[in-house]
Amino acid sequence: MKPSKMKTKEDTWKSDELLKHIKAAQGDHADDSSKKSRERKRHKDEESVGTSDSREHRHRGRERDKEREQGKERVRNKDKERDGDRHKEQEHEKVRKKKNDERERDREQKQERERERHNDRDRDKERVQKWDIDQEHSTDPRVRIKDKEWDTYAEKHTKRGHESERHRDKERDRKKERDKLQEKGTEKDENGNQRPKHRQKKDKENLELEMDEKYERKERKHRERKEKEGKSTENNEETKEKKRRPSEFRDEDYDRRYKEHKDHGPHDGHREKREKERREPGQKAGIEEMERKHRVRKDKEDGKKQRHKDIKDSAVEWKDREWEHKDREKRDWERKEEPQRKHKHKVKKERDEKERRGDYTEEQSVKRKKERRSIQETTSESKRKGSTKEQIDSQKKPTETLTEEFVEGEEIAMESQSTIESSNYDNDFEDYEDDFEEGDCEDEEVEQEREEIPARQRAELEAIQKAITAENEQVRETRTRSHRKTFNEEPNRDFENSQTRGPARGTFIDFAAAKQREIISKVASKQKKRSLELLRLIDLDFSVSFSLLDLPPLNEYDVYIKNFGRTNTKQAFVQCNEDNVDRDIQTDEIETVEKWTQHPGEGNLICGGANVSDALSSVAKNVDSRRLTNFLRSACQVISVLLEEEQAENQASKNLQSKAASLSVSDGCSQLNTNLAFLHGREVLCLHFSPVQRQILLSIHSLPKEPGVVQLASSYMVCVWNIWEPSAPQKVLVCESEVQCCCFGPDNVISLFAGTTDGSVVAWDLREHSIMHCSLQIGGQEWTFRTPTFSTDGVLTVVNHSCAVKAVYPVSSACFDNPGVGLSLFSSQEGRSGLSFQLATLDESGLLNLWVVVELQKADFAGSLTDLGLIPGGKIKLIHSSSIEVNSFLPRNLVQLGSPKTLSIRFLPSDPNHFFIGTDIGLVSHGTRHGLQAAPKLYKPQINGARPVQVTCIDFCHFGKTLFLVGCSDGTIRLHSVITERPIIQWNDSTQGRPIRAVAWALTRPGMFFVLDSASHIYVWDLLQNVSTPAAEESLQPDRITAIALLGDPEKPGASSGLMLAMQTGAIEIQYLMKHWSEPHLNELETLHYILQKTA
Amino acid sequence: FKTAVVKAKINNVLKEELSNMFYNPEEIPYVTKKIAEAIKTRVKECAFDRYKLVVQVVIGEQRGEGVKMAARCFWDADTDNFAQAVYMNESLFCVAAAFGCYYY
Repeated sequence: MKPSKMKTKEDTWKSDELLKHIKAAQGDHADDSSKKSRERKRHKDEESVGTSDSREHRHRGRERDKEREQGKERVRNKDKERDGDRHKEQEHEKVRKKKNDERERDREQKQERERERHNDRDRDKERVQKWDIDQEHSTDPRVRIKDKEWDTYAEKHTKRGHESERHRDKERDRKKERDKLQEKGTEKDENGNQRPKHRQKKDKENLELEMDEKYERKERKHRERKEKEGKSTENNEETKEKKRRPSEFRDEDYDRRYKEHKDHGPHDGHREKREKERREPGQKAGIEEMERKHRVRKDKEDGKKQRHKDIKDSAVEWKDREWEHKDREKRDWERKEEPQRKHKHKVKKERDEKERRGDYTEEQSVKRKKERRSIQETTSESKRKGSTKEQIDSQKKPTETLTEEFVEGEEIAMESQSTIESSNYDNDFEDYEDDFEEGDCEDEEVEQEREEIPARQRAELEAIQKAITAENEQVRETRTRSHRKTFNEEPNRDFENSQTRGPARGTFIDFAAAKQREIISKVASKQKKRSLELLRLIDLDFSVSFSLLDLPPLNEYDVYIKNFGRTNTKQAFVQCNEDNVDRDIQTDEIETVEKWTQHPGEGNLICGGANVSDALSSVAKNVDSRRLTNFLRSACQVISVLLEEEQAENQASKNLQSKAASLSVSDGCSQLNTNLAFLHGREVLCLHFSPVQRQILLSIHSLPKEPGVVQLASSYMVCVWNIWEPSAPQKVLVCESEVQCCCFGPDNVISLFAGTTDGSVVAWDLREHSIMHCSLQIGGQEWTFRTPTFSTDGVLTVVNHSCAVKAVYPVSSACFDNPGVGLSLFSSQEGRSGLSFQLATLDESGLLNLWVVVELQKADFAGSLTDLGLIPGGKIKLIHSSSIEVNSFLPRNLVQLGSPKTLSIRFLPSDPNHFFIGTDIGLVSHGTRHGLQAAPKLYKPQINGARPVQVTCIDFCHFGKTLFLVGCSDGTIRLHSVITERPIIQWNDSTQGRPIRAVAWALTRPGMFFVLDSASHIYVWDLLQNVSTPAAEESLQPDRITAIALLGDPEKPGASSGLMLAMQTGAIEIQYLMKHWSEPHLNELETLHYILQKTA
Repeated sequence: FKTAVVKAKINNVLKEELSNMFYNPEEIPYVTKKIAEAIKTRVKECAFDRYKLVVQVVIGEQRGEGVKMAARCFWDADTDNFAQAVYMNESLFCVAAAFGCYYY
């Protein structure tokens, strides 16, 4: 027609066309549907179009309001117009409604069919009437809406008014047609065979009548639905015819269909609920409106393809519209017919049901599809006043819908009562449309997919679908263009090409967005699926953690530098040349030598070092320790002596000078300090020099006359002196008994032996430590008083002396120098080995005991059990070797007079085997220890015969060793040679008859000897000068000389020689002999021999 | 995802962007974003086609405090990896990490 109009409509009708298109696609399968049904649907679609229009033009509310008023007026007009049709049926309306409802319910429930049956005829009429009403109501809003739309359009186009009028005319026509159809339907119903049966059933179900009223509403609803279904079938038919414009209505239909679809498939109840919801806000609205909605929805559900016609009607062309109006009228007419038809179906069904009632309760969903078809068929049949076969099928569906819409029915009934069109109408519509808007976009494609299923079943639909898709594409294309252009161009194109391409623009944006969303969702689902599959293959883990950064906090120094240091500076230090150091030394360098030492030393080397000479010296130092000790011992003595001398010189120079004149032969004298507490008042009994060490002097002290030291008062004392240490004796020995004689060991001064008056022989070991002996603090000085180490007193009584020991004499080893004497080998060896030597002791009875001095290797401080004479810790003991009865050597004639006392004994210095014993008969017997008797048995004085003269002393000359002097108590001095019995020279009266106490050969001069008489006179004889008389005679008057000893060394004539004088007071003096007395003359010994031969 | 290559790239970016830079709390947020973008584009040039990239850049001021950063990834260790580089000067430190996740 007029393209301009078309364009404007397209704006608004786009969605409708789309919906229609879709519906057409769906409804294709209902190919058989008749044109009448199509018309009906068209009518319905018009309504839907109206809704869509209203939606689209919502913003034009004012205009709408006006239109609405106009529409109401129109409706009124229409009503008036309709009245003609209506008035026939008005009377029975209410009854009809109820009955219709009941009938429908019966149809669906099949239990109440009989009850309805008797009303069938009435019902049919009623239905027709009701349908009319419905149509009136439904059409009115529709028309009104259209009017609105038209009004809006009318703003642009002035033709609107005419169109509405036309429309009304169409409606009128339609109604007429409907009425006709209804009439036909009634006829059909009446023709039906079922009635009597229905009545029968109804009788049975009279009880249920009470319930009927309730159901009426529902039934009515169901009826409506059926009508819709009918329409849908019609629509399907129409779609075929009017495929051209499906797209125009598509959107709207789509939305509805979508919603219904959702509900439709599984349960109709859902759908109904939704419908309810939609309706609830608009309950006050006219029943027709609701029904129309309902119908529209059902159209979607059942025959989605029917939409196309609506599009035609409402959309593009006025022609079409008019057509639609006509169609609508037809449809209405058909609708009226439908219930009748359905009723017929019902009747038939009931018939069938008697045969197979149970079947109806079977799966509804399956049936529904069939039903749809059947409905379509029925519609077609209804046109032809259909055949009974198809009616059976068609029955199924109503039954279902009835049950499903029970609840809904009530509401609808309510709505039906309020027949007035409410002001909410628009709102309802808007809500409804909103729903569409929400849902349509998303579900469009889904719908398409769904549609494919029936399409497959019915290949006929495919063509339509293609068309739809084509349209969709076009829609998309158009969307890309500017809207204005599309408005202008598209409708033209669509119209020219095909009607299907109508105004399909309304929801372009939504549609595209939906597509996109769909695509997105599809992609998402794909991705989801993919991810699920992938996740099975991939192992995700988070076990490893990575350290991205580990920045340690700065230390304090860095912070300091950062804060206080100047920027870009850094503290650093550099090491200078290490060697470059200056040093100043003010002192001389200390010489250092590395040495090493080791203790105890191994071998000769005990220390060493870099210096070779030192090493050598150290080697040299390695001396025999024995020699060293010997040296030290002697050196100590020397040193001590030297110290003593120095002291003595300072102190006692006067003494020496004063006493120098005491002896004519001496040029000086010194005194040993005997002025000691323990020596005070003791008479010196004997003096004895060690033959080995000439400076060592023994002095025997008697008991003190007045005891100075109480502890020692009963003890005799022996002092060991070094004449060079005159201040004090070296050692002090004590003995209980009176010591008659004493002597040193043969080769040393470490042992000392003494004989006592009680016949015991005692020995001292001078090496013993002082702690073994008693020590006393005397005169501020500590003195050790050594007790004898060994004593024969009380032990060895068998062999021991029974009387006083007159002489003790060591058998000297020196005598073995003479090779002529052979028997001394053993003893000499012993003597050299140390302390093992023989000791001879002679007592008064003439018993000569020989002892072997044994040094024990180990001291026993616990004391010895076997050696009772040994002091604990002592090391020297005496073992009795042999005993010699000296008197056996004497001639028997002498022995007859009585056993002479033996007073002294001397061993021949050259041969210790020979000993000479002085007796108290003036004779000197000569004996040997072993072997044969020596040649002169006796040495007799010149005057023959024995006399009671004691031989007091015997002394051998130290030179030549064959001469000895014998001093006698009668004052005679004899000079004997060992080989002659008679003396060489005999001096009878040199001492004026005073007994000779001692004779001593000078040690340095062979021809000189000293004689001491009892009157303390000392006579000095020098045979070289004067053989007959002594060369000098000295006497020390104030004191008596008790003993003399000669100091000097025969082998060292140059050494000082002296005369030791022991005083009765206890003093000991040394008279140093003058040179000419001490120094030997040239060939003095030969001269002496000569003189002696001459005198003899 | 080659860690060495990416690391080199990150290092280059960091050097270019941060050299002679001082910590300024106001501009740092932009710098981080800039760096992150730069790293992302650079790494993309490496043609790790199938990798999704995540770039994280952290810039902090250096004032002597200790900092410890760690990352933990929930991923497929066979294919996914990360590269990380640190840039430090006197006033700031920057840690940039690029994580590559293989897109199957």
